[in-house]
Parts: sequence; structure tokens; C-alpha cells
Amino acid sequence: MPLLELRNIYKAFGGLQAISNVSLTVNEGEIVSVIGPNGAGKSTLFNLITGVYKPDRGDIIFQGERINGLTPDQVTKKGIARTFQNLRLFTHLSVLDNILIPQHHRLKSSWLAAVLRTPRYVREEEEMKKIALEKLSFFGPRLMSFRLHQPVYVLSYANRRRTEMARAMATGAKLLLLDEPSAGMNPKETKEITQIIRRFRDEGGYTIVLVEHKMNLVGEISDRVVVLDYGVKIAEGDYKDVVNDPQVIEAYLGRREE
Amino acid sequence: MRDYLLTLLSVGLAALALYFLTVSEGTSGLLSALTLIFIWGIAAISLNLINGQLGILSLGHHGFMLIGGYVTALLMLPARERRPFRTRLLSDWARNHLDLDKWLRGLGLDALANSIDAKFIIALFIAGLAAALLGIIVGAPSLRLKGDYLAIVTFGFGEIIRLLPNAPEVAAFTNGPLGIKGIPGNAGNIWWTFLALLLVLWFFSRLKFSSYGRAFEGIREDEIAAEAMGVNLAYHKILAFTISAFFAGVSGGLYASYLQSVDTQTFNFFVTFFLLVAISLGGLGSITGALLGTAIVVLVRVYGGFLEQPNPAWVGYLSGAVLMLAAFAFSAYIRKARRLRPVIEPKHFIFGAVGAVLLVITIAFFKQPWMQQTVQFFGMRKMLLAVILILIMIYRREGVMGRAEFSWKLIIGPREDIPTDEQRKQDAWLSNPDLNPGLKEDGDDDASA
Repeated sequence: MPLLELRNIYKAFGGLQAISNVSLTVNEGEIVSVIGPNGAGKSTLFNLITGVYKPDRGDIIFQGERINGLTPDQVTKKGIARTFQNLRLFTHLSVLDNILIPQHHRLKSSWLAAVLRTPRYVREEEEMKKIALEKLSFFGPRLMSFRLHQPVYVLSYANRRRTEMARAMATGAKLLLLDEPSAGMNPKETKEITQIIRRFRDEGGYTIVLVEHKMNLVGEISDRVVVLDYGVKIAEGDYKDVVNDPQVIEAYLGRREE
Repeated sequence: MRDYLLTLLSVGLAALALYFLTVSEGTSGLLSALTLIFIWGIAAISLNLINGQLGILSLGHHGFMLIGGYVTALLMLPARERRPFRTRLLSDWARNHLDLDKWLRGLGLDALANSIDAKFIIALFIAGLAAALLGIIVGAPSLRLKGDYLAIVTFGFGEIIRLLPNAPEVAAFTNGPLGIKGIPGNAGNIWWTFLALLLVLWFFSRLKFSSYGRAFEGIREDEIAAEAMGVNLAYHKILAFTISAFFAGVSGGLYASYLQSVDTQTFNFFVTFFLLVAISLGGLGSITGALLGTAIVVLVRVYGGFLEQPNPAWVGYLSGAVLMLAAFAFSAYIRKARRLRPVIEPKHFIFGAVGAVLLVITIAFFKQPWMQQTVQFFGMRKMLLAVILILIMIYRREGVMGRAEFSWKLIIGPREDIPTDEQRKQDAWLSNPDLNPGLKEDGDDDASA
């Protein structure tokens, strides 16, 4: 059974058909890249999966369960987490708080128990802190010591990206949707991110769908590449096959005038 | 553990100081100012939960306080105040049955009914519950809106609630525009409000530093991200709204008891406005700030009276001169501290010049009759408050405390967010290839790639 399955998804904004008839299957343990020129509908696809938009037609099935029509927080509870193209961190909160908030939905204690600090709540809170540190350790010790208590706005851009990825992991999701994880990073940091995404799968057991513009990153880690253009899936398959597909080349570079 | 003991110690010291205030002579003015600070502080802290921590502008707080005030008033009203000529708009049913005393005796809890303090606690709790219920009713439909729209809707609801007691049909429960008088003045005793404030501080700080408090702040920082991270927006917004309304009701009950009367003008929109000024002054999102801001505002209002006293005109000129010169010096000080050049901004010489001219005028014409005649400025208190607010907004927009919270760690450490030398060294090792040869190899790889 595939982990995530999109069946003939359609989405229009007014007269603009942003996504038409896109089907996609993601198996457990895969890294799937979604690429395409600007405005191809990549981010819309992410927003459809995470419940920000509702598809006009079609089904989204996650672990055998229909999830279209759910709100974003319900989708997250089912086990899909995302990062954002232009960071959406809780800027004035500390790094630790940023990683604790996504675990809030798993809290079983009521708010009154939280105020009274019942033993169960204290235990849950400790568990949350442990998970937070565990997720941050994916990125080495740089966020672990004093930066843990610093507000996010003092962090460097790369550290913010890392924090956002740790935050997505902390939701307890099985499927991570990474929207341009290497945007704004220098080659060295991009390389590190590439390794980290691979470690997400190998060590963390996550399945990953990513939208990315840096082709060397895509080529290096993707098991499968999906190409969108004007909301239509024009190619799918191995990186090498896809980039040599004439349709894909046309979408990116245009047609040569004969 | 250390922090816990320090907190206990300072609460004990505060209680001791209060005790000496209550036993010594001539402190009734200060005590009533403190009572007001405590009551309004509770309201400000509860408003801060919505406006500061959840990041939603709500302007209907006076409505919740009014509900609390009326419920407390009705439940606590002693039998002699319930006679028809005193409360002639009140229906017989309300007069005879909305009585906590009767309820408790009906349940056979005579011991509770005999103690007015126990009754007051129960009445406050019921007042809070009534306000919280209203909070849900108001919140559920309106919290789907955002920003200005929500502010307008909450303001509308607040005004509806405020004007409702005047309506003839509702007057059967509220005594209409006459209001309810003769409420037992428990809250006039400072220990009541002090303990209530301690309880509220404890509750709200525990809430803020819990998972729920973090979820609220996440919603404030970025609603979309919070929702994407699994925070149920509707539930948490209504939860915060309800908790806030509960404590608004409690503070309304305390205030009604402090005044020993309540009517629709007791809780008009200026109450919410006053609270907003207080929490913006103190720092939106900070419990400490809310209390601090309330203290500033109440103290200016209570002790600002000397500004409105009649004085000879030269006092006005002299204080104008001093203020201007102080502003001049302050700007130079700020610019020096911020290492701006030139140290004295040319435009700011105007302040200095005006100040100097006023000073010269004061000295030169001191003996003149127009300098000695008595003048009086009304409304100076409010102006002072406005000036304080303007200065805060210009120089420290986030308020006195910002989002920071008072904590012992902030004062005497250890500060976890400031790296120790050890941590600094390790951090440099992580990023500097000269110190960390392993890093260098990676870097070379990148250069060739």
C-alpha cells in the first residue's frame, strides 16, 4: 500500500486551473522530488495535500485513509508535516519552543492539568523536551546548547532552515513535505542539507516529498522525480530520464523556433 | 528550587509590607490605590492573554467585566438591600431567588452561608463562570474573523452586553439604569484583592509556561504555521477567550464589591481602553508588563492630582523649561549611548533653545504680576498619561517589558541563552575551518563542485 496517493486531483482558482488531473503515489521510504517552472503548481500541490486548500475533485489518500477536506491541523495529526518556502517560524519564540509547539497536538493532559502541573503533564512535558533534543541532534550540536534558548530571530538563515525542518519532524509525521529546503543556502550548506535529507530517510525512517529548484540536489537524492507544468504532470520517473524528456526541456527552456 | 524560595520570600515580604500599611495611620489613599492596581491588574492580565499572548485584538473586555460585576452584585446583595423600594425594577423572582445565601441554605450549607467571605468566593467563581459562558457565546462565532474585523465585532458585543442591563426586559434582573447598590464591600479589604492577584499571577504564569501557553504564542507568531504544526486554531482561540473572560468576570466582581455598587456606567468602553493602554505600556504578551503598566496608569491617575492643583504661573514656565531641557539632555544621552553622530542632532537644539528661553523668561519676569497669578490646568493627568504612552511608542514600541517575563534567572542568572566561553569555543570550532581540519576537507570539496 502506498503511503500517500493522489488520485486525479483538480484545483482551480477562479478561471486559473492550477492543478488538473494530477495523480501521484509515494511509497514508504521514498524521496520524491516535484519540480517544474515557476507557477507550475508545485506549492499548490503541497497546499492541497496539507489541507490548506480543498481539491475541487479527486482524492488524497494517506495510509489508506481519505484526508481531503481535513483542516491543516488534522492533516498534521494524521502524520504529514511540511516546511514552508519562505520560512514561517515562530520568530519571537526560542528554538526549543519552536520544536515543542508541533508536539502540542499529542499532549493528552487538559489545560487545567497543564496549569496544575499534574505528574502526567510533567512526564509528557519531559518527553516532549527529549524528542525536541533528539530531532535537533539531526543537525549536529549547533542548535543544541545556548541557541536552544535563543529566540529564532537571532539565528542565521541556515539555522532557521534547520529549525524549521526539526519543527516539521517534531510533529511526529511519517511524511515530510519540504518546500525548497535549500532556498537561500550557499553550496556548502546545500550539500549539508542534501545529506541531512538522506539521513531523514535512512536514519529517521521518514518518507520525503520535496519541491526544489536546485537540480544537482534533486538529482543527487531523488528516487523519483515528478515534473509539473501549468498544473499538469508532464513527466515522472528517474532523474536522468526526466531531465532528458523533450517535454520537460520544452517546459523549462521553451520550444526552438524552426 | 532557588527561584521558588526567592519567589516565596518576596511574596512574604510584600505581604509584610502590606500588613504594615494596613496597621499604620494615614495610608488609606495608598491602600485604595493598591487595591485598584490589584483589581485592574487582574483584568489587564486576563486581557493580555487574548491581546498579548494570542495576538488577537479584543475590545469587548468591559462586557465580561460587567457580567461579573452584576452577577456578584445580585448574588451577594444582602436581604435589607433587596427590599422593593431599593430595587424597584428588579422582578420579585430575581429579588427572591437570585440569592446565594438562599441557595446555600437550601443546600444545607449553613456554615458557608454564615460566612460572608466564603459566599464572596463562591459568588466570584459563579461570576467568572457566567462571564466565561458569555465568552464562549461571543467567541465561537466571532473568532473566525481576523484582525480589525474581529476587533470591531468584539467591541460591538462588548457594547451590546453593556447596554443590555438598561433594557426593560432585562431590568427585571439588573435593576435597569439605577444599578445595584449596597453590595457587601469585601474587596475593599486589601487582602482579598492581594490574594486574588497572587492566584491570578500563579495561574497565568503556569498557563503561559505550559504547552498550551506555547500553542497560544505560536498562534500569535504565525497562525498558518501553527495550524500546519497541528495546533487546532478554533479550540485554542476559544479556550484562551474563555479563560480570559472568566478572570475578567472575577475582576468585575471584585470591582463591583470595591465600589459597593454597579451600574452600566461602571464598565463602559473606557475600561477596555484603560486596560489596553496599561498592557501596551507594560508590554503586550508579558504578564509582568501587564501588571506594571496597570500600576503606572493607576498611580498616575491617583497621584497625578498635584498636576491639576492651582499654582502660580511661574511654576508652569519653570516646569516647561525643565521638561524641555530634560528632553534635550535625554536625546543627547540616547544618541551617545547608541553611538550616533553627531551626539546632538541639530533639530534637537530646538528643545534646548525653547527650554533656555523659558528659563530666562521665568527668571527675568519672576516679579511680574502675570508671573505670580494663579493658574490651573485641568486634565493634566490624562495628558501625562498620553505623553508617557507617546514616549513609550517612540522609544520602546514593545512596551516596558516587551515580551519578556520577570524571572529570577533574568536578574541573577544563569542565563541559558547567553553562551559561556566554553560554548563559544565549541561554536567557533564548528564553523571555523582553521580550528577544525575536518571542516576544511568538506570546504575544498565544495569549491571544486
